[in-house]
Amino acid sequence: MNDKDLVQQVLNGNKNAFRFLVANHQRLVIHIVGRIIQNKEDIEDICQEVFIKVFRKIKHFRGDSRLSTWIARIAYNTSISHIRKYQKDEQSYDENPAIVAGHTNGEPNHKSLERKEAKQFLLEKIEQLPVHYRTVLTLYHLEEFSYKEIEEITEMPEGTIKSYLSRARKILKEKLEKVVENEKTNIFTEYV
Amino acid sequence: MKKQIFLQNMFSERKNSDIDKLVNDALKAEPDYFLPDNFADMVAEKVAEKFAWQQYVLEFLIYFGVVIGLAAVVVAMQFIFFGAQWQNWLHFITENIFVIAGISLLTVFVLFTDKVLLKYFLYRSAHSKELI
Repeated sequence: MNDKDLVQQVLNGNKNAFRFLVANHQRLVIHIVGRIIQNKEDIEDICQEVFIKVFRKIKHFRGDSRLSTWIARIAYNTSISHIRKYQKDEQSYDENPAIVAGHTNGEPNHKSLERKEAKQFLLEKIEQLPVHYRTVLTLYHLEEFSYKEIEEITEMPEGTIKSYLSRARKILKEKLEKVVENEKTNIFTEYV
Repeated sequence: MKKQIFLQNMFSERKNSDIDKLVNDALKAEPDYFLPDNFADMVAEKVAEKFAWQQYVLEFLIYFGVVIGLAAVVVAMQFIFFGAQWQNWLHFITENIFVIAGISLLTVFVLFTDKVLLKYFLYRSAHSKELI
């Protein structure tokens, strides 16, 4: 079933079609919402809110883009509205200079950093990046959207998206390199 | 000396590509967020309930509009074709205001109960039986 048929079925009031739509897109939605919101207690409620909005607005879906792009946009906007409303003080909403420059503390104190730990360490560092960095990283690497689609979802210019991606990657690399230098670990020779 | 520099460069290049690989893997790794297994069912039910409620309210508003429209047509006909006097009507309404208001409210309530509340509760009870 293609996007247009699925949307038509939902518009006809077919509950199973909507269930199918939710099941197919819940992974995408939770990745976007989870990366932006971060408060695990709120994530499920916001995912529900996203799908209720999808249902309400689905009659406006024109099929100009993929359905997943359209849903991702709703998830992004809902999450951003939520943090604007409830997490005004969250430091990482805007670009925190310390985080962006890579000067935050919290590197692990392990004597040696194992491969899995390195991955976990990076995942934690991703969560600490500013919200726009996390969002574009998730959309580009995890969900494999194109720059054009990310532009549609976030309304950021393509240049900004590319810049966020490269800066985020640079920050993560620097953090890992710093740990490697400090801990004098040899995980990388084992990793290959 | 040349060999040492070559080895250093090689080690540094390898380290760089390994770091890239690790970063790539981390970026593609599934984050640690989960939704309940029955999330899709839950959301579909919630939406269906909202959709049903909206449909019933819409149906009620259509009926209400039709009743008001018919009444307006009857009143207009009285004035146009049967020469009704608005002063008489006003006098009648002001004298029986409580009765008229009571009947109107009762009609709206009956219509609302029939078109919205009853249907909605029947829908909910049918749905709760389905779940059991």
